[in-house]
Amino acid sequence: MLRFVDRKAENPEQWLTDHGDYLYRYAMSRLRHNEASADMVQDTLLAAWRGRDSFAGTASVRTWLVGILKHKIIDHIRKEIRDRNLTEAVESDPTSSLFNADGSWIEAPGNWKENPEELCKNEQFQHVLQGCIGKLPEKQQIVFRMRELTGEESETICKAAEITSTHLYVLIHRARLALRSCLEFNWFGGSRQS
Amino acid sequence: MNHFCKEASQLQSDGFERGLTVTEHIRLRIHLLICGACRNYSENLELLNNIFQGMRKQKKIDKSISLPDGDRGRIRAALKTASDSDN
Repeated sequence: MLRFVDRKAENPEQWLTDHGDYLYRYAMSRLRHNEASADMVQDTLLAAWRGRDSFAGTASVRTWLVGILKHKIIDHIRKEIRDRNLTEAVESDPTSSLFNADGSWIEAPGNWKENPEELCKNEQFQHVLQGCIGKLPEKQQIVFRMRELTGEESETICKAAEITSTHLYVLIHRARLALRSCLEFNWFGGSRQS
Repeated sequence: MNHFCKEASQLQSDGFERGLTVTEHIRLRIHLLICGACRNYSENLELLNNIFQGMRKQKKIDKSISLPDGDRGRIRAALKTASDSDN
């Protein structure tokens, strides 16, 4: 929604009224945590108010606010990974449990014949999928969620997780392998044809 | 005999993240021709990718979530304090 406003005449409470829900939804879709998301909205609006002179006025107020919020969310995720000391060494390879020593599959992936559009809407499947994602090791899970559920750019994820792109690809690959086997076991197993 | 499956699974995932090199691409294609298990893996990843794409699309239009009143009040008060002390 683009409109001309005299920014100086605006006040942060008006921003809250106009954009509060939008910013909150944006944060919730990335943090999935009510309290943290509401805190992000508050931090964003306070930072916007303090930095109001830097608003160029070329974009809409909402775009400007979302830009600030994005940074706040990345900082929050980075801090969480640091504080909880979530690490996952590239060297220790959890995928080795899925392959034989000669590099072949211990259990060959099955043939999944289902329609992606239907699965998006299938509540039972969504429940199983979220359960499987929830079982991933924490750091894998954070980067995998950013990648697949919110569709962040690799660069953003690497910044938040403080990892190189090579490390990111390894984590995503491990997450995909683990997720695939969890779904095979809990959902697609019945449709196996091999 | 050494199997390429483990390495192929990393390449298949990487294919969604970065462009594969020509050599990687060719090695993977040749392997997929002869390996049914890895072809299945390839299709599984494709399906998952489509599911996540669909979910991201759906999420964009989900407007059922809104800022809870309690939080809204707390934020309003914090903003008022900030703007009052500035003016």
